Amino acid sequence: MTVQSPPLSAQRRRSAGWIGALTSTDHKRIGLNVAICSLGFFLAGGVMALFIRAQISQPNNHIVSDQTYTELFTMHGSTMIYLFVTPMAVALAVYLVPLQIGASEIAGGRTTLTGFWIWLLGGLTMESGWLAGGGSGRAGWFSYTPLSEAQYTPGIGQDLWTLGVILAVSGTVLMAATVTWTIARHRAPGMALLRMPVFTWTALVSVLMVVGSFPVLVVAMILLYLDRTAGTHIFVGYTGAIDYQNMFWFYGHPVVYVMFFPYLGCAAESIAAGARKRWFGYKAFVASMIMFSVLSMSVWGHHMFTTGGNVNEAFAFTSTLLLVPAGIEYFDMAGTLIGGAIKLRASLLFGLTFFLQFLIGGLSGIWIASPVLDYSNHNTYFIIGHFHYTLFAGSIFGFFAGVYHWFPKVTGAMLRERLGKLQLVVMIIGTNMTFFPMFILGQEGMVRRISRYPQHPGWGTLNLIESIGAGIIALGVLIFLYNVWVSLRRRVPAGADPWEGQTLEWWTSSPPPPLNFPEPLPPIRSYAPLQDLREEAEERQRQQEEAPA
Amino acid sequence: MRGGAIPLLVWGFILGLSMALVTIWNSGKPVIGFMGGFAVLITFLTALAFILLRPREAVRRGPPEPTGEPRAVPTASYGSVLFAVGGASLVYGLAFGHFLIYFGIGLMVVAVGVIIREKVFQRRALRRWRESPVTPGTGEGPAARRPEGD
Repeated sequence: MTVQSPPLSAQRRRSAGWIGALTSTDHKRIGLNVAICSLGFFLAGGVMALFIRAQISQPNNHIVSDQTYTELFTMHGSTMIYLFVTPMAVALAVYLVPLQIGASEIAGGRTTLTGFWIWLLGGLTMESGWLAGGGSGRAGWFSYTPLSEAQYTPGIGQDLWTLGVILAVSGTVLMAATVTWTIARHRAPGMALLRMPVFTWTALVSVLMVVGSFPVLVVAMILLYLDRTAGTHIFVGYTGAIDYQNMFWFYGHPVVYVMFFPYLGCAAESIAAGARKRWFGYKAFVASMIMFSVLSMSVWGHHMFTTGGNVNEAFAFTSTLLLVPAGIEYFDMAGTLIGGAIKLRASLLFGLTFFLQFLIGGLSGIWIASPVLDYSNHNTYFIIGHFHYTLFAGSIFGFFAGVYHWFPKVTGAMLRERLGKLQLVVMIIGTNMTFFPMFILGQEGMVRRISRYPQHPGWGTLNLIESIGAGIIALGVLIFLYNVWVSLRRRVPAGADPWEGQTLEWWTSSPPPPLNFPEPLPPIRSYAPLQDLREEAEERQRQQEEAPA
Repeated sequence: MRGGAIPLLVWGFILGLSMALVTIWNSGKPVIGFMGGFAVLITFLTALAFILLRPREAVRRGPPEPTGEPRAVPTASYGSVLFAVGGASLVYGLAFGHFLIYFGIGLMVVAVGVIIREKVFQRRALRRWRESPVTPGTGEGPAARRPEGD
């Protein structure tokens, strides 16, 4: 067997403590850093959401002023998308992909580290707008022109928002680029493309979308900043506004899938491990991922149906085509469960809930992929309900499936299963209380982004239910934080492979050592090499038992 | 080192088809063609980079082969952090004060110097490792060779 020497340390002394953690080029440390910081942003965005829900829990509330409300929904959306869900997806890829493909390190550790810091400082730049005299960014998370031009949204807060987006997105692109490079060039011997684990495939298509579409947003933000400060007139007038929207949504729709695919991978891995079965229809799943990601870069115009700026039929067609790969994923999920020796662990339950909750988001997506129906629901709470079902009810449940699945690998300690299941129940109740009434409110014509609304029959009650639901979600998050705290304080050792895992990350110790794999890797003959080993051992044992004495 | 161009080529080809469809359907919208073209171009340029760096392996089917090349990787990089802080300071300075722009540029120059120094240390470490005597079991020297992912 051809062998390779171990990579060497270039440092004379190993850095330790906080400085060591924050300057480490180890992909696991960087992935953890991104995850921890984005969780911090998640909590901040969650608090903003609670303020928003408190304000509109009743008609004509006066908890916050109109401007503060506008800042709150702008920064809530921006924080969640630029600083939590997207970077968390990339963090999972940075941590897990090298382990899953048998690499000892991520390609371009320095670049990944730079990406993390640029993203983090971008986030802080964006949030520093709260301290600015005129308030933070307040033109919505997509900051359409002309509203976001200096004439209509003056003040340094919006400038800081724009610069923060440039930095945060640039950092995300750098991290994604190194993941792409790692998958392309650092796979272990034997790790063919069609032997890569399901999660790695979802990460690959996500990072391809990041690299292909996110730079367009950076360019759009630079042009917007020039419009605001240098007196250019790039996004002025109808054509300028439509051009901005095209550029924004060229990023804005793929990012929805960047916020979806890796969590789909989390759910898929946790379901396969919980069912103790290989992921059903692996090749069809890979094909569907490729189709899904490519199509998702061609559907951005459905966010602009009512502008009349693009040909709606084109984008309605591509948007509706998304149903095909989505259907394959659900089929694969069902196929994996059928005949499996299912263990109802928290990770599997979160994974299943991801699929079920996302289904509501997906089905409402068919509705608004049709221009005729979209016209009636545009800018209403129906849209808010739809994307929160995809991003919160979908991605966040997938995220927690991943957390319960890989927490033992990352920390070496098991999370408490009972607390996990309690969190799941609480979050399901909270999520559906918060987001389902939005469909009804949207159909009844309640528009979004209003801090006060008229005393329309039923609206106050539905909004109150939503606000209580938001509080219940917050309770679910608190249960999770308590679970992490108690699990790390009173550790139940996980061992290398507590789930009888199928992929290479379960081959190494928990947590994995520097350079990941001190022992030689097992032969890689499929996307589930550890499952192969178990099946071979079982087969050998069976043959021995059947052999004549 | 392995290939990796195949998924990019496949993905770029399908993306190109899809973008062409949308662009043609939206005739007269240069921004759409430009953005679609950008994404396809980035994909193909990356694939091209893989092919140029490793001509045969990049378009070869099948699993990667192991390589015997030793590599030195850093455990930490102060230069990368300084570079990011400098860049962010530069950008923040656009809104907050020009002194931050100059500070940021200065920091980035220093960071490049630190990164060059780190790279030099990396090469030295590799050379030392190659020249070191065989000491089995200590993890030092060429005797510590083992099958490795990359």
